[in-house]
Amino acid sequence: MTSITMPQLGETIVEGTILKWLKREGDRVERDEPLFEISTDKVDTEVPSPAAGVLARILVQEGATVKVGTPLAEIEEEGAAGGAPTERAEEGPAERAEEAPAAEERPTPSPDAEAAPSEGRTEQVAEAAAPSPGAAPAAPAPRGPEPAATGPRSQILSPLVRRLAAEHGVDLAQVRGTGTGGRITKQDVLAYVERMRTAPAPAPGAAPPQPQPAAARPAAGEREEVVPMSVVRRAIAKHMTQSLQTTARAWTLVEVNMERVVRLREEVKDAFEARDGFKLTYTPFVARAVVDALLAFPMVNAELRGEEIVLKRYVNLGIAVSYDEGLIVPVVKGADGMNLVGLARAINDVAARARAHQLRPDEVHGGTFTITNPGPFGSVMSVPIIALPQTGILSFDAIEKRPVVVDDAIAIRHMVYLSMSWDHRVIDGAEATKFLARVKRNLETWDFAEDLRR
Amino acid sequence: MEAWLLQPPGLVPYGPANAAMHDLARRRLRGEVPDALVLLQHPPVYTAGRRWRPEHLVWSEDLIRRAGAELHFIDRGGSLTFHGPGQLVGYPVLHLGGSPDALGYVRRLEEVVIRAGADLGVALDRRPDVQAGVWAGQRKVCAIGVRIMRARVTLHGFALNCSTDLSWYQGIVPCGLDDHGVTSLSELAGREVTVEEAAPVVARRFEEVFGRTLVPGPRIEEEAFYASAVSA
Repeated sequence: MTSITMPQLGETIVEGTILKWLKREGDRVERDEPLFEISTDKVDTEVPSPAAGVLARILVQEGATVKVGTPLAEIEEEGAAGGAPTERAEEGPAERAEEAPAAEERPTPSPDAEAAPSEGRTEQVAEAAAPSPGAAPAAPAPRGPEPAATGPRSQILSPLVRRLAAEHGVDLAQVRGTGTGGRITKQDVLAYVERMRTAPAPAPGAAPPQPQPAAARPAAGEREEVVPMSVVRRAIAKHMTQSLQTTARAWTLVEVNMERVVRLREEVKDAFEARDGFKLTYTPFVARAVVDALLAFPMVNAELRGEEIVLKRYVNLGIAVSYDEGLIVPVVKGADGMNLVGLARAINDVAARARAHQLRPDEVHGGTFTITNPGPFGSVMSVPIIALPQTGILSFDAIEKRPVVVDDAIAIRHMVYLSMSWDHRVIDGAEATKFLARVKRNLETWDFAEDLRR
Repeated sequence: MEAWLLQPPGLVPYGPANAAMHDLARRRLRGEVPDALVLLQHPPVYTAGRRWRPEHLVWSEDLIRRAGAELHFIDRGGSLTFHGPGQLVGYPVLHLGGSPDALGYVRRLEEVVIRAGADLGVALDRRPDVQAGVWAGQRKVCAIGVRIMRARVTLHGFALNCSTDLSWYQGIVPCGLDDHGVTSLSELAGREVTVEEAAPVVARRFEEVFGRTLVPGPRIEEEAFYASAVSA
């Protein structure tokens, strides 16, 4: 267990304010990964974690000012304390995300920071009371996550513990954990091995590992093909299910007249592309209108944390991007400080890098609201799933010419359905509808040309 | 020790410049580039640090946009400030070593500006009783706001009003202080002190105070401040 204390950033500094925790309790943290931010007169400092492990406890909350040396948090290290450098070296090649080559980084496909697999290094939920030894005969390399088993009693095991168990043929169900929450540490495994070696009679669990029958997985039938789920696919499955099981999802739809936006875009798109080197899509227009509405209705830009609702007075906008491996949601941070052109550039940038597998892990976390645009594939209406811990997700689908009534006459206009899935635990229909009405009004009345005049 | 002096010319848009600065700092952290001092001017832009409060924004966001300025919410210390033509903005990207002295770093930034002010014929001082920054009596001439990446590499920096149009400050409560004003070197000197005149003086004093020798950095690094290839 490593204790994190308020650092002394200069001789004259006696106290500091916790500005922000960059990790939550239970999150994994790498050594030297930014852990929290402190603030002193005019200086904000990111403080990196001194150890790799799991952030077990946060002792001082955001906004609190404490003296230098005050304990702030505890980090439960992988395995046990003492052999830290070796353990880290054994864990895998990507010591620090920032130093890994970009192509190797596999950001998680959801903004949810919790329990998303990245780099295959996430701890796995293994079955502690499994009938067969936790040391499966073909213990995989620590990098490749095997499908998570489910059981009545799940436990988090570090890759090191799993490998040690595999090496020594230890049934982890027989090992008593002494770590936080009864977790099994490296020393628990080694002590168990030692006990077994010196014990006069073999303990019940020390029998040689039995190979697990292969019949557990159904074989492919005729004209069927079995495709293993990729890491990304499994993460998507987990997050989507978790969202539907957690949120009280409701859905609201508005129809927006996009005539002004369509005309403006037609007018400027060639010059824009010539100047900025990429196509001006409709997404930045919708994003700009949404950002304004989120600032006006912060409950929609909120996070439910326990029994408290955290309103965010800033917008980190998640943009759902489909790519060869599935779906990923890079986050445009600080979207509330951007005008149309800034949003266009930022969205183009993260989308392009998402498709090129070049996002950094921190670029898929911290979203406060998400926009998805299945329109290019032809849909006119979709019901998206909320990306936890956010409160809403807006879908805009294909813009189509439709007959509409304008001033008591039937006219042809470019129309689009904008809809939002929202969490009824946090907001009600009135708030959701007012929010969507604001987005609609923005798109129908704003003069976006001002933003484009440069 | 040698450090790059990067001076992207003209008015550098805030978003790309902020992204380029963060990118430079990340590379500095990895030891891929030397220390650097970036000196530049921005088009009109208001930036809000993490400690900004809504009441410090006098003009609405719409009004700011209509006035032709941008508003960015960023990750430095301090509250709201303004950048614009006539203001020398300095972004030192320095590796502070193992146990950084954050406050000492701010004091040294102030020292650079105080000495540069003296060179230009203006007496400036600190107001530790009020706030970090460089002052002429009750009025602030240079705002300071800093972030330290991984407790090692500095981001953001100082903004020295040379010939800034001070009416822009009506849009905000600068640095969250409503009983103190702002001023510029030109106003204090009673003559026009341009960014072009102040920049080399500040660079020289920076070398002296921080013990660095500034050498012109690669052109491509300056160009990066215009392109948003990297997001902050």
